[in-house]
Amino acid sequence: MAVTKVVMPKLSEQMEAGKVIKWLKKEGDRVQSGDILAEVETDKADVEMEAFGSGVLRKILVSAGDKAPVGALIGVIAEEGDDINAVVAQAGGGAPSAAASSAGAKPAMADRPAAVPPQPKSEDHAERTPSPSKGPESPGIRRAQETVAQQPAVTEMAPRPQAPAAADGGRVKASPLARKIAAQSGVDLKLVHGSGPGGRIVRRDVEAAAAAPAAAAPAAAAAPSAAAPSPALRPVTPTVTGPEYEDVALSTMRAAIAKRMPLSKAPVPHFYVTSEVAMDRAWELREELNGLEGQPKISVNDLVIRTCALTLLHHPGVNASFQGESIRVFHRVHMGIAVALEEGLITPVLRDAHAKTLAQIAVEARDLAERARQRKLRTQELSGATFSISNLGMFDVRDFSAIINPPEGAILAVGSVRKVPVVTDEGLGVGRRMAMTISCDHRVMDGAMGARFLQDVKRLLEEPLRLLV
Amino acid sequence: MAKYDLVVVGTGPGGYVCAIRAAQLGLTVAAVEDDRAGGVCLNWGCIPTKALLRNAEVVHLFEKAETFGIAVQGMKVDYAAAVQRSRGVADRMAKGVEFLFRKNKITLVPGTGTLKSKNVVEVRGTDGLTTLEAGRAVILATGSEPRSLPGVAIDEKTVISSNGAVRNEARPKSIVVIGAGAVGVEFADVYRSYGVEVTLLEALPRIVPIEDEEVSTQLTRSLSRRGITIKTGVKVSAVKPMGASVVIETDGGRFEAEQVLMAVGRGARTKGIGLETIGVTLERGFVKVSPTMETSVKGVYAIGDMAGAPLLAHKAMAEGVVAAEAVAGKNPRPIDYGNVPSCTYCRPQVASIGLTEAKAKEGGREVAVGKFPFTASGKAVAMAETEGFVKVVADKKTGEILGAHIIGAEATEMIHEFAVGRTLEATVDEIMHTIHAHPTLSEAALEATMAALGHAIHI
Repeated sequence: MAVTKVVMPKLSEQMEAGKVIKWLKKEGDRVQSGDILAEVETDKADVEMEAFGSGVLRKILVSAGDKAPVGALIGVIAEEGDDINAVVAQAGGGAPSAAASSAGAKPAMADRPAAVPPQPKSEDHAERTPSPSKGPESPGIRRAQETVAQQPAVTEMAPRPQAPAAADGGRVKASPLARKIAAQSGVDLKLVHGSGPGGRIVRRDVEAAAAAPAAAAPAAAAAPSAAAPSPALRPVTPTVTGPEYEDVALSTMRAAIAKRMPLSKAPVPHFYVTSEVAMDRAWELREELNGLEGQPKISVNDLVIRTCALTLLHHPGVNASFQGESIRVFHRVHMGIAVALEEGLITPVLRDAHAKTLAQIAVEARDLAERARQRKLRTQELSGATFSISNLGMFDVRDFSAIINPPEGAILAVGSVRKVPVVTDEGLGVGRRMAMTISCDHRVMDGAMGARFLQDVKRLLEEPLRLLV
Repeated sequence: MAKYDLVVVGTGPGGYVCAIRAAQLGLTVAAVEDDRAGGVCLNWGCIPTKALLRNAEVVHLFEKAETFGIAVQGMKVDYAAAVQRSRGVADRMAKGVEFLFRKNKITLVPGTGTLKSKNVVEVRGTDGLTTLEAGRAVILATGSEPRSLPGVAIDEKTVISSNGAVRNEARPKSIVVIGAGAVGVEFADVYRSYGVEVTLLEALPRIVPIEDEEVSTQLTRSLSRRGITIKTGVKVSAVKPMGASVVIETDGGRFEAEQVLMAVGRGARTKGIGLETIGVTLERGFVKVSPTMETSVKGVYAIGDMAGAPLLAHKAMAEGVVAAEAVAGKNPRPIDYGNVPSCTYCRPQVASIGLTEAKAKEGGREVAVGKFPFTASGKAVAMAETEGFVKVVADKKTGEILGAHIIGAEATEMIHEFAVGRTLEATVDEIMHTIHAHPTLSEAALEATMAALGHAIHI
């Protein structure tokens, strides 16, 4: 009989480790192929893990609440009489999982070289990750599955991610064919938008997701402090008793942010340029547009997106990426828009922003933000940005600076539109002002380039009618 | 001028289904028809030919009664009675459509409809002109008619089309059928069963040329065994009526018979209905339509045979539903033209869906093919219907059901397992894990699927 290794599945391009939220089967339980074994938290979603082999869940190596790197053994399924000692022992040495605590970064996550933007495939990684194309989860043709099952050796079976609890609590609806293609092409169904009846994911959806450009930038890594809103300040009462502090385990998304931000800040030499824009006319224009019947509501951020997209076309040097031996200059603008979530942030990408009208941008940006909050973004919507915008205006922030999201070359941090006293020709008046700070990768551009770009952004925002033509 | 939300021109399977669906959705509907309700399908095509083919099958069963230990003496077959029964069946079905129209409060307007503008249809009937105004849309569903070869006039006596074949109560002693698609093969079957000497000519290299090659081979064998002469790859150069007979000249020899049946295809009926008046765009003889069946003129829709291939009643019905729902402001799901079953009701029957093995391979797919013959099916043997097989073409990597091809008894009833499977994007695994009742002919579908996976049980 085959011994089935249950390993931490790779559920997204960026995923390096996952946390077992809870086991739905306990040691000694009989499981059938297809049963849901456990729930796993990744940096993007909570996903149910399906058993691929049948037998008895003989051993659980990573208990609920603990984390394990992708590919690490977390359980063993075998028949009653099968000897699983060898399998467990083999895993015991390498996998930190059994002893993993929930306290934070694991060795496997810490030993990455800090020099390059995190590319999802390093060698050790590829080796450990059960490759979907060769794994038994893929073959549609039973013949191939049989070959695998007949091997006397231990079969390595990553539980295939299936029917993960969606944000709304429902299961992922997908056709059998869509599931097979997804398994074979490594598409995470959780992130695929279903276009079939009732939102069912069908073949064309998975094929579209699989054909999307390979992830260029890790999605979870985005603007820095643009994270979650700080909760209302609680008065510190000296009468509090009990422990002086507690350690809160990192959510996987928080862990990803914690790990990736230094990977940007350290190797990417940031410099910052700040400017202030008179937003009076833009404000009036926006009010006027929003007074029109049947038009989508335009936000200040939509104006900034459109402005930056148009300006970037004239400043290709800012719409660029450091590639080691060369600088890649983009001719299209794919705008990353940082969206704060309860547990972190995510940067969906508004594609071809330069070619879109304000109304299109407003509708798309709102849709992306909405789906980001519901964690319903498609994989291809999380990668490929050429420039990003992080806006903390809604938190009454005057100005701030953001960390570049590699491999992008720059990010614009946008503060609130504030009413301030201004000096005019007639004397003192009231004006609306907004501060913007661009963070630039010095390997790609110099201070003057960033400053000239910012100057043009400012000009355009101060003559906002140009945004309409 | 009478005003309706919707005016449907033509009440074949596309038109009548569209009219009923629109009425269900609350629209007022007028349906224009220059013949009996039900169009060619009910009156002159699908339905009456199925009645004739059933007769042919019964004759065949009597002929092989001895197999079952039944002695039949003094058997006489009456072809005229077969045609009359077939007419009765057609009449009953047409009445059924008329009943459905009354039930759904659809006004049937007899006469020939012509578009005067994009929302006005003039109907020329036996008692003069009626003008209908369409408030929402006009649906054109005028169907198709048999084509002939250049220079060959159809007189429905010596040179006949399916229209004549389905009406003529006298059977010829001999007939040459030109064209071995569904129509040609079905009439060849009927005539042969009634003792007519049949020659089947096909210009392409094999009969039922759109089907999988193995199906063509099997059908050639079956029909030849029954005494039908089959010549493929022959081009007809002339058809010459000579009084009591007709001579067919081809590059593969000269044929002579009492009649010739032209079964070389059908062409859209697009003349005389005012398409030019309002500027409807045609494409290769068919009306060009959008995925919701709208023509180049807004508010004018076209469905069924006139709107392009495949020229099949069930495709027309599906289009009728889409058009009605689009007009009613619903958001209909567009038709998947790659998933329309194709059925030929000769004996043995032929049914298929999706890609043939050759087409699948042409598309660059690595395919897994499974075949299961009815000789290995318990039910088929018990029925003494062991001709034919089920063939499944699957994608080797994903198990996607690319195509299914069935030749054998009740093939046309069995194909829908694969149609549903394909609609739901099931793979061979799902078919395999579906328990099929035993004994049934449908088990052959299961076995063919398992054969594609490499482990059919019963062969």
